[in-house]
This record gives sequence, structure tokens and C-alpha cells, in this order.
Amino acid sequence: MKKLIILSLMVAVAGLAYAAEKDAVHSIEIPVVKTELRAGEGMDTTEKYCSICHSLDYITMQPKFPKATWTVEVNKMIKVMGAPIPEADAKVIIDYLTAQYGTGG
Amino acid sequence: MSPENFSRRNFLKAAGAVAAMTAVGGFPAQLFAYERRMARFPEKTDLILLTSRPPQLETPLSYFKEMITPNEALFVRWHIANIPTSVDVNEWRLKVGGNTEKELELSMADLKKFEKVTFTAVIQCSGNGRSLFVPPVAGGEWGDGAMGNVTWTGARLRDILNSAGLKAGTVDVSFNGLDKPPLPTVPDLVKSLPADKAMEEDLIVAYEMNGKPLTMLNGFPARLIVPGWYATYWVKSLSDITVLSKPFEGFWVKTAYRIPETDCGCVPPGTTPKKTVPINRMTTRSLIIDPSGSSELTLNKPVTIMGVAFSGGRGVQDVLVSVDGGKRWEETRLGEDKGKYSWRQFFYEWRPTKPGRYDLMARATDTIGESQPFEGLWNPAGYLWNKVEKTEVVVK
Repeated sequence: MKKLIILSLMVAVAGLAYAAEKDAVHSIEIPVVKTELRAGEGMDTTEKYCSICHSLDYITMQPKFPKATWTVEVNKMIKVMGAPIPEADAKVIIDYLTAQYGTGG
Repeated sequence: MSPENFSRRNFLKAAGAVAAMTAVGGFPAQLFAYERRMARFPEKTDLILLTSRPPQLETPLSYFKEMITPNEALFVRWHIANIPTSVDVNEWRLKVGGNTEKELELSMADLKKFEKVTFTAVIQCSGNGRSLFVPPVAGGEWGDGAMGNVTWTGARLRDILNSAGLKAGTVDVSFNGLDKPPLPTVPDLVKSLPADKAMEEDLIVAYEMNGKPLTMLNGFPARLIVPGWYATYWVKSLSDITVLSKPFEGFWVKTAYRIPETDCGCVPPGTTPKKTVPINRMTTRSLIIDPSGSSELTLNKPVTIMGVAFSGGRGVQDVLVSVDGGKRWEETRLGEDKGKYSWRQFFYEWRPTKPGRYDLMARATDTIGESQPFEGLWNPAGYLWNKVEKTEVVVK
């Protein structure tokens, strides 16, 4: 009987230790939320480069900006935030953003 | 309506943009180029989705009817894509080093051995209210829900730094977390504080929010709390504290999160400041929560106008309310005082006796007389928003 109690206690302690160990790891899974960009010339290029670092809702949440502002933003991504976007593609992206998410001029 | 009162909200309404408010907190959905979506992230309730990678989630205003913002409703804001999603607390260490007598590697148990400090403090994103800027500015297009009032528990940063021992010549202290940039060219999120600020009594490394472990998205297992200052300094999932004998030169302090070096932290709309300084103390602000902007009120039926007010750590002296667009101002009753870093609720009993449209306004003043502007103060990054806002209601 005594042995049984000790054994049960050992199992309980092991169980607690296991629980503590398991509880020590805190994990979550971030949901994937799809954002569709508006169809238009340059959409694929925009999606390809911008989504390396961030989801596309970063684009769709912005107010409508003139071309000058979108130019500043894209250049900021390249020069300040380290986005590897070749100059020719940057132009395509700026034109796309201005046409689809800007004031068009 | 005079041109300066002709807000962007009114403009868009006049322009016939989407007139419908979203279901949550009367948020003006028409401010945005897209429909605001709700999303449920782990350990969170349905929040307004700004971005998903990295996550930026905004609290619906209705949660601010409560004195304390529930953990699952608190806003979320990360900067760089590779955020921590799994942390083994037994393995996690907070490293303290640099210009110190000794290097520390604190486990969670070590952190909990320091004196336990608990207080309630408003946490607010530097860009809260950015979507209200005119002309608009680029960035996280927050409404007013990038804030919350939370009871934090942790160890004093000062006690931790003293335990490592600051060497002579210390200038700054920098803070890094477990989040990592998606590319080596992207600047890692590291923040710094001047050493004298870091050694103030009320900064803590918090391991609990509202009596529970931090949610992963709010900085599990521990984050810096700099009460009274904007949340950009409240580094999440803290892993490294580095004491520096030279001024910190990192991108997120030297280039980003800066405000014009003017008394108001503002410049004429659309212009570039000559000189900037790192953003710091929060400006005094208030917000009417109830009734919300989409409310229809009943003639002669009493209604309690309720909201929240806070300052950059100096406590709220009073909050005045106007029901006629700012012509007459009335004193309000302030709710429970949970300390100078917490927000105060304010209440004003009103019985509308004429039908029509009313502009409700609230204006807070802190204990040294700092109050809120009637016109939005503008700066290029969209920070420090604290304009006296108008809540339009209709009495029928």
C-alpha cells in the first residue's frame, strides 16, 4: 500500500513537472489574411516586392495620395527600410500605386 | 460651416462617400480607401484589422466604456515581419550588459525576485488618430483605438540596471526584443532612452498585464513600460538591455519616431520641420466614448455623456464638455483616480430639450494646465494627435 502511494506520488510529480515544462512553451499561430490588390498594370510587380516584407493591406489602408507622396513612400522603402527593389521596378510600382490607390496624378 | 471646421469627415460625407458607419464604436469607415475588416488573432477578440503581417490591430472604441481594457481587446502593433510566435519561458533570458559592472542573464524567476511593482497606465501608439490628419499622412492609419488602459506588473528597470551596475559615462540605454527583420537590410527594432529617463522610478519590465501573463501579441513574456510616454518605447518580448557610453544611433530613434522640435511638436500642414527630436511624453487628450458618433438620442430623455481622458503622466485636472459645438462648456464628474498614469473616466448628465443635430465635444486639462487644441496640430509622421474632436449626434 505504502509503495503504491509513493508510486502514485512519483507519477503525480512527474506529471506536474511535465505540465510545467509543457506550459513553459507559449505558442500562437498567426492567421493568414489575404488582401487582393486592384487589378491593373504593375500589380504583379507591386505584389512581388512589397509582400517580401509586409502584407498588402499596408497599401490598401492608405488614404489616396498624389504621385509625389507614393514616390516618397516607395523610395523610403528602398533607401530607409532596405527593400531590394530595382529602379525600373520601383517606377512600375509608383505608377501602379498612383493609378490604383492614389489621386491618379 | 467655416472652412476650418470643414473636417475631412464632413468633406467625405459631402462628397457622397460611403455613409455607413461600421458596427463598432461608430468608426467612420469612409475615411479609408477600403472597407475596414475585423479579424480575430490568437489570444485576441475581434479587432479592427489594419495589417496582418506584421499585425496591427485596433481596439473598437466601445471597449473604452470600461476603466480597464481587457487583454484580449488591447491594440496590437508590430513593426517588422518576423515576430515571436513561440517562446519557451524556461529558455528565455533577459540579457543586461554594455557599459555595466557585470553582465546579467535574467530568467523569468530572476525577474520575479525583484520587488514587484503594479500600477495602471495608458498605453498609446505614437500614431493613434493618424487617420484624422489633414492633409493625410502615410503610415498606420489608426482611428482612436490604438490605446488602452492596463494594469501592469513587473520589476523596476532601475533595480535591474542597479543590479548590473552602471559604469561612469553612461549616456543611453537601448532595448531590443525578439522580433527580427525579414531581410538583413531591414533595420531591427531597437529603441533607446536617455540614461536619466531609464533610471526614473516608474519604468518597469512588465511580465503581467491585468494580473495575467502578457499575450504573445502584446509582448510575451516581458515588455518595457514607460508610463506617460508613447508606446514606441515599450519594447515587446524584451531580450536585451544595453547600457551605452555613446548616444544611441539606431534607425528607430535617430530617423524614425521623431517630432518637430517646436513647442507644439507641429509644423504648418504639409511642410517639413527644420529640426526634429525623438517623440517622448504623450500629449493630453480626451475622447467621448458614449454616445458614439452614430447615435440617435431621444428628445427630453436624460443621457450620460461618458468618455476617457489622460495626460503624459501628470494626471487629469478636469474635463469640460460642450453639447453645442464648443460655445458653452460644462464641468464633468471625474471617475475613479487610479493614479497619474491611468486614464480618468468623465461623466456629464445631459437632457436634450430640442430636436436636431448636436456636436458633442470634450476637452481635458492636465495638472500643469496642458490642454487640447481645437485645430489638429500637424506633423509629417502623424504623431501626438490630441485635437478636441466632435461627436455628431441627432436628437429626435
